[in-house]
Amino acid sequence: MFTRFFYTCRAKGLRIALTEWLALQEALEKGLAGSSLTEFYYLARMILVKSETDFDKFDMAFEEVFKGVQSENEISKNMLRWLDKSELIDMVDEEDRFRMNEQDGIFTDLDKDEVEAKFKERLRDQDSEHNGGSFWIGSMGKTSFGNAGGNMGGIRVGGQTGYQSAFQVIGARKYRDFRDDRVLENRQFQLALRKLRQFSTKLDIPKTELDINGTVDKTCNNGGCLQIVMERPRKNAVKLLLLMDSGGTMIPYSSLLNDLFQSVNKSNHYKDVKVYYFHNCIYSKLYKTPECENGEWIDTEWMFRNLDSDYKVIIVGDAAMAPEELYSTTGNYRGPNGGLSGYEWLQLMKRHYKKIVWLNPKMAPSHAPWREAETAVKAMFPMYKLTVDGLNQAMMKLISNK
Amino acid sequence: MQQFGSTQEYVASEQLMASVNVAIALKKPLLIKGEPGTGKTMLAQAVAKSLGKKLIIWNIKSTTKAQDGLYMYDTIQRLYDGQFGEEGVDDISRYIKLGKLGEAFDSDEQVILLIDEIDKADLEFPNDLLWELDQMEFYIHETKRTVKAKQRPIVIITSNAEKELPDAFLRRCIFHYIDFPDEVLMEEIVKTHHPDVEANLLKNAMDVFYRIRSLKDIRKKPSTSELIDWINALQIGGISAEKIKSELPFVGVIVKKDEDLEGLKQRLN
Repeated sequence: MFTRFFYTCRAKGLRIALTEWLALQEALEKGLAGSSLTEFYYLARMILVKSETDFDKFDMAFEEVFKGVQSENEISKNMLRWLDKSELIDMVDEEDRFRMNEQDGIFTDLDKDEVEAKFKERLRDQDSEHNGGSFWIGSMGKTSFGNAGGNMGGIRVGGQTGYQSAFQVIGARKYRDFRDDRVLENRQFQLALRKLRQFSTKLDIPKTELDINGTVDKTCNNGGCLQIVMERPRKNAVKLLLLMDSGGTMIPYSSLLNDLFQSVNKSNHYKDVKVYYFHNCIYSKLYKTPECENGEWIDTEWMFRNLDSDYKVIIVGDAAMAPEELYSTTGNYRGPNGGLSGYEWLQLMKRHYKKIVWLNPKMAPSHAPWREAETAVKAMFPMYKLTVDGLNQAMMKLISNK
Repeated sequence: MQQFGSTQEYVASEQLMASVNVAIALKKPLLIKGEPGTGKTMLAQAVAKSLGKKLIIWNIKSTTKAQDGLYMYDTIQRLYDGQFGEEGVDDISRYIKLGKLGEAFDSDEQVILLIDEIDKADLEFPNDLLWELDQMEFYIHETKRTVKAKQRPIVIITSNAEKELPDAFLRRCIFHYIDFPDEVLMEEIVKTHHPDVEANLLKNAMDVFYRIRSLKDIRKKPSTSELIDWINALQIGGISAEKIKSELPFVGVIVKKDEDLEGLKQRLN
């Protein structure tokens, strides 16, 4: 059922698996959605969507597929309570109902529009509970609307639940802020950075931890005389090198970069973290502070000598250098070039370090040949946009073996 | 089939109730996410109470391993006993102690199992539980015994979204995100905790509370449980309703960060 809905959801970027889809079918079979579109909306959402960040995508897909479907009118809570007389239904048998319709011949021949118009009118005017009557919306009555009524056609004002109509929920789009492709915050940075870990007992460190199970094993085999076994502790082996652009074009992103810096600083689970700054592009010097003052720097070659190729490198920058800044050997208007162009320095980086990713806060969404420098840098390093999604992807890239 | 509804102590939105009931009907774990302090943990207690079942809570810590929930093999005790030649050292089953999940499986009656704050554990933790939650059984290697659920427990899992949970795990769950309650629902929630709260005091306290939450630069938004504590403090302190807005008494109960307190004071002056 609703196979089109399945594919629309997937097209909107929801990664729904067959198991979840089958679970929804099972739920529908058990009648858990009643026969209401709104209940179906919530049911499908709770089974198919597993993160509030995806609610918005789901809303969009739902709207696209079910837009034309006639939805319920908004019924007030009070009215629903008056109507919820399910315990009475069994007391009226089919015959009675049929008779009720026969007596009032006009109403059996229903014009849908007319009924709906009347329904809306009463919905507006009614202010108390009515049961068994022939005018107001109520239960056990014979108007063409209401619950548990005798009329054979008309509008059933349904039931047990007072959900907000699905399309009103969607219209509000209140989960838009949860979408995780928006630019991220400090805490989310930290969480993404936690992905970057590689536990290892193969580090070159002494065996300092007691291996309890091993000790017990050995001891038991030894006739109960204690025999201690030691093992190497499990430690995160990741070393991180963060290089941040603090050039003029990056000023709009300064608070974002500050957040990233804070998060890297706070994450104490790396074996080592080093942070340096550069201005627009990497040349022969790297700065120790974001102000990029002359003198407050280290030689890039020193970095190559002292930080070995196992460091995982994150370069943050907008990659919006002018062509001469990238390709000329005198392109650095702020400090020394060191005889190489910015492009050549970047190539040295690539040659030295095994794992480098580039995070760009204003990356073009798709191929953008007019952004000459960005295109050139992108060809050299895997580039990701500085968002939750982008950072997560970048971390996966850094940790993967490929 | 038994249905879950709001209890005297716990006000659940209709969607939340529906989620609980769907999870029970489909026999899948219910995953609850939401801001801290929106009553995720209390939900399990309310479900247990409403259905009249026993609640087993498994609190997850950063060091918790999946194995801890199944069973523990008390090797140290066995080692001690072995040193002194105690009787029964060769009977391993004496040293097997069931964990919370094992306890839930082994119970003769259906129980509610709350796995609280699953995201605190290691990234791989949920994956390690896939088989056990799916098949509702596990195998004890040491004694070659299979522990199978006598009555499939109703599993409720809470998460603060500190870590992303693995897809394979999520696919098996029913998901519900607890929205922050709006003012109407909030009033109802506060009244279940403090039935005799003075109308004026409640209104003023809620005004202040929602105003603080709406401040754009607030670092830590106050939560429902903090509001309830604050109102309790205001009542005990005998603060008159008028003073709440002008003096913000005991505001430390809802605002916990120094920077936020500073900012709030500056706005007040």
